[in-house]
Amino acid sequence: MIARIIIAVAVSGATIALAVLWRRREGRFDEGSGRFTPADLGVVKIDRPSAVLVEFYGEDCAPCVTVEKRIGKIAAEVPGVQVVSIDAGARMDVADRHEVRRVPTLFVLDPDLHVIWRASGVPSEDAIRTALLGPDWAGRPSPNGAPRQRVAR
Amino acid sequence: MSEKRMVDKNGMRGGAGLSAVLLLVGFVFQWRAMVPAIGAALAIGSLFGLRYSPLGATYRFVKKAFRLSIPVEPEEEPPPRFAQTLGFVVCGIASLLFIPGWNAAGWTLALLVAGLQGLLATTGLCIGCEIYLYAQRFKAHEVQA
Repeated sequence: MIARIIIAVAVSGATIALAVLWRRREGRFDEGSGRFTPADLGVVKIDRPSAVLVEFYGEDCAPCVTVEKRIGKIAAEVPGVQVVSIDAGARMDVADRHEVRRVPTLFVLDPDLHVIWRASGVPSEDAIRTALLGPDWAGRPSPNGAPRQRVAR
Repeated sequence: MSEKRMVDKNGMRGGAGLSAVLLLVGFVFQWRAMVPAIGAALAIGSLFGLRYSPLGATYRFVKKAFRLSIPVEPEEEPPPRFAQTLGFVVCGIASLLFIPGWNAAGWTLALLVAGLQGLLATTGLCIGCEIYLYAQRFKAHEVQA
């Protein structure tokens, strides 16, 4: 009986540890690399925005709806941000090139379409704002504490 | 996106938490019947839809009885329904393993389900749903190739 209780507690502990680990990684912005082309984004012309926010979404993806709402709200607040949504299932070539392994995945690009930040999962509104506006938008640190190029003008 | 039936993600998480606790209690007291019982509950959700799942119904009952103000978080049904199917299959195999007396193997699978259900309940991370989405993308990849 005691051995079984210990095993049950161990399973619960492992679950909690995984949950904590996953929560730390979920929606976290990491420095990205590479560059998108206008063809990747499915647009002929980019209007020299201050930043481009690219969201890879998928059909049946509930977290994608949450992310879409958040970036829609932020795009309305932050001037000069261009939002591009890409169906990862329909644009597998682009998703593969940028190593999109799950949806939603967000990319923050500079005006020349270089990748500045990337995040998988559901980032908080503050994390998205910080990734777009830089570390000092409200006296807050950059997404992971490291100073990075300010994107928005 | 196409129109699909929606389910409440919080209901799914509540049901997952309940099944995780029941499986752990079943393991501690060696109530082997708990595994096929949870498997049957998952099978109902898988075959008839999550709104008919006894686990989800229990969540809705508790929410109503205690007037809990947990918001409804709509989610498309296919991925969680696939996840329930996976849970049902694993619980089914675990139940079959009990018949010849392979209790350790049976409980290992049951505890795996309990762990994954616990993860879903605490974080909202549904491994079965992720497998479904990954499979959908792989299928789309094959079609395009």
